[in-house]
Amino acid sequence: MATLRVEIVTPEAPLWVGEAKALVARSTDGWFTVLPQHTDMVGDVVPSIVRVDTNEGSLSFAVHGGFFQVGPGVDEGVTQATVLAGIAENVNDIDVARAQIAKEMAEAHITADTRNEQVDGAAQLLARADLERAELRLNASNR
Amino acid sequence: MAGGQERILRRRIKSVQSTRKITKAMELIAASQISRSQARIIANRPYRNGMRRIILEAALGDPYAAAQLLMPPDHVDSAIVLVITGDRGLSGAYNSSALRAGERLARKLEGEGASVRLVTVGKKAGAFYRFRGLDVEAGFANMSDRPTWADARRIASSLAGPFLLGEVQQVMLVSTRFLSAATQAVEVEQLLPLAMPALSEVEVPTTTKGYTEFEPEVKQLLETLAPKALESEIFSALLEGAASFHVSQQRAMAAATDNADELGQSLSRIMNRARQDSITTEIMEIVGGAEALRSGK
Repeated sequence: MATLRVEIVTPEAPLWVGEAKALVARSTDGWFTVLPQHTDMVGDVVPSIVRVDTNEGSLSFAVHGGFFQVGPGVDEGVTQATVLAGIAENVNDIDVARAQIAKEMAEAHITADTRNEQVDGAAQLLARADLERAELRLNASNR
Repeated sequence: MAGGQERILRRRIKSVQSTRKITKAMELIAASQISRSQARIIANRPYRNGMRRIILEAALGDPYAAAQLLMPPDHVDSAIVLVITGDRGLSGAYNSSALRAGERLARKLEGEGASVRLVTVGKKAGAFYRFRGLDVEAGFANMSDRPTWADARRIASSLAGPFLLGEVQQVMLVSTRFLSAATQAVEVEQLLPLAMPALSEVEVPTTTKGYTEFEPEVKQLLETLAPKALESEIFSALLEGAASFHVSQQRAMAAATDNADELGQSLSRIMNRARQDSITTEIMEIVGGAEALRSGK
């Protein structure tokens, strides 16, 4: 039987590796689902919640941007789907309080910058990235 | 008096022994860090290989679009050289061999008419290059022991900026590669334009059907992929540098401990001889005195 092997990998360590029924993620072109026997595909993953459906239930991962590749696995009949993300975490591991604080700090930073009208481009970008990450974490854990 | 020499020797032996204690402790600490940093390299490998595989796929999928990012530049006016070293010394030749390789590369590029901008990782690098009359444009420190992904991103963004703006045509990396626990070697690599990963380095399954879909198309994909791949390569270089540092330090400190042992041994031998000498002299004096008294009778 055709099976799907999913790997969610971050630079520090593989986050999750295992067999799954489906992988649901979002690229620049929109949502997509990978099932066993999917054709070879390479693309990006925009910051979103990646879902992995396994026989034991489904798992969610907050992926803060990355790439994916679908290809034949090492063994016959196995389809390999790899998600590479700079930052990613299991939704269950998200520290909601911390994300909330991070969100407020980033928002304070952005409003302070705009009020002073001294907009430092790089700092602004960083604050926005922080805000996006915090929001994704909060959204992910609210579901 | 001969006793004075003995005291001096005793003091030296003490200082050698306390130095030995320090080198021994450093050796043990470094040894304990080796396995941890090695584990981090292994944990990073799936990401690094996955990144390389994606680049390879993209390059094979649309060679024309990939050529712009992957082709070696035909002419280099200005280049960045990134040198990765450690923050601390007492690690044998670890720092100096990477620093010297970086200097050689910088001189070579200058000889070819390119202006070189140095970016360094590690506290030792700034002083080294300043002394040799090379300007260090940016120096990163306090990350060589346990480099994090955020460190790698900071370094990468300082390199990608000038490259994307066209200020430099080439970004080179000089770092120590952790080939195995026994061998580490300083290597020079091209970071940007992205070096096409060698096929042998990436395990590509041989069963590819010959076509791959891209989402989005390769050209757009490569634009976001290139900076991430840069981060990934820098992060692995940092991890391998950290592991190499710990191995060199362990080796250097083991040698220092052995030397201290040897030195302590030969010093205590000299001290014993000096003590024996002074005892012999004393006996001779007593015997001589007694002789003189007897003959004087």
